[in-house]
Amino acid sequence: MKVAVVGKGGSGKTTTSAVLARTFARSGLATLALDCDTNPNLGLSLGYGEEATEKLVGVRQALDTGEEGHAGSMIELIDRFGVDGPDGVRLAIVSAIENPEPGCPCCGVSPERLLADMDSVEGVVVADFEAGLGTIIRMGDDPVDVVVIVAEPTAKSLEVARRAADLVKERGLGRVIVAANRVRDADDLARVRSVLPDLEVSSIPDEPAITRAERNGVAPLDSAPDAAGVRALVELGERVLSSPISA
Amino acid sequence: MRVAFVGKGGAGKSSIAGTFSRLLARRGERVLAIDSDPMPGLAFSLGVDRSDAGIPDVAIEECVIDGRNTFRLRSGLSAEEAVLRYADVGPDGVLLLQLGKARGVRGENAGSHQAFQHVVEGVPDHGWSIVGDLPAGTRQPFFGWGRFARTVVVVVEPTPASLLSGRRLARLAGMPSAPRLVAVASKTRSLGDAELVRDGTGLPVIGTVPFDTSVSDGDREGAALLDQTPKAAAVAAIDELVSTLINEEEQP
Repeated sequence: MKVAVVGKGGSGKTTTSAVLARTFARSGLATLALDCDTNPNLGLSLGYGEEATEKLVGVRQALDTGEEGHAGSMIELIDRFGVDGPDGVRLAIVSAIENPEPGCPCCGVSPERLLADMDSVEGVVVADFEAGLGTIIRMGDDPVDVVVIVAEPTAKSLEVARRAADLVKERGLGRVIVAANRVRDADDLARVRSVLPDLEVSSIPDEPAITRAERNGVAPLDSAPDAAGVRALVELGERVLSSPISA
Repeated sequence: MRVAFVGKGGAGKSSIAGTFSRLLARRGERVLAIDSDPMPGLAFSLGVDRSDAGIPDVAIEECVIDGRNTFRLRSGLSAEEAVLRYADVGPDGVLLLQLGKARGVRGENAGSHQAFQHVVEGVPDHGWSIVGDLPAGTRQPFFGWGRFARTVVVVVEPTPASLLSGRRLARLAGMPSAPRLVAVASKTRSLGDAELVRDGTGLPVIGTVPFDTSVSDGDREGAALLDQTPKAAAVAAIDELVSTLINEEEQP
């Protein structure tokens, strides 16, 4: 199963991806967390720690620097460059852009190509996309199983979410679940529903414990597993694994 | 003044860039605010009605440069004329030019994107201030989209993920013809936060914008901070940042 997590920058994609991945792993599924951001931070939210996260090498950079002489299949690359972390989640970074004026990130190894090549993968892949719609646009017509659109109840975030939902629907890219994030009250949730009608919505409350975890660079699942916001993300994970229900 | 705001997603780039542009315009500068994010964002922070307008196809022509097919502004159309013709006029007289927003399959608006870069790099130095809002992350900044800027401001929250992004962006200082690179500490909650940003990025911190609920409240409404809560602490902090950058650019 392939799950893509998309949304505006800062909406909570990476935190959501991390809790989803660990929830899947805890339920016994082989889980790959694929950091598709060229500015990769998923390791922090998964609980790898700051130092390890900063040292992780992208699959693409390993190829560029010749560390990987004969590139096998994408799956082999991930086996080789992935790193195991908390709850047995395997984390791989697709392509970190580490220096000004590098090679073109659109050529060679890319998130959309990796995902398209993963048809034979067993277990779950959680792909944490780069901010905005670039990766969805480049996916062409290759679907995933579920697209989680993370949307804050702000005008900017909902604008990105609306466009993402339109694209996914237009191209049949997967089942959409909206994670309405940092919801403070019923008005916030209504704001999300009015921009994204007829979609499955999971409401994630505004959660100070998640803000604290981010400030401390730790995984919310480790520092505050019982906080309402974290529990809501775990429930979102269970929902992703379940059959679709009508909105 | 020529300044570009970069940083991790959600750090506050658009909110700061939009407010900064208007406060700079109120001091008598002619300000071109540019949003090179394929997702609209800066328009909300400026208080400009939502528009997707980039450089239209009629203003663009195909050409061959170094043996490669590419696009440029139609001959006879200067960058300055293109701005006056295609930018939106916003509050306080700020002109907003946006990248052609993402539409359809890949490459469909490559012409618009390249023309956008030509315009931004071709606007004359004299008589114009440019304030740029770049998309989240390292992709655009590392590919030269901030070349117009004399000062690149990395907007950094005091969180490990934002600091890590800031450390990566600090490598822009190693570019040929490197701009001046500085940081602004964003959403700070205590006095130590600016120090965290300085130590965590290795960049000089030239300003601090405190955590301010008026910003998130305004974001919910899609209203510009400057219209919604002109007396917010964040507005005062951004106004101070305007003064700082004006003074620094005046120095040789």
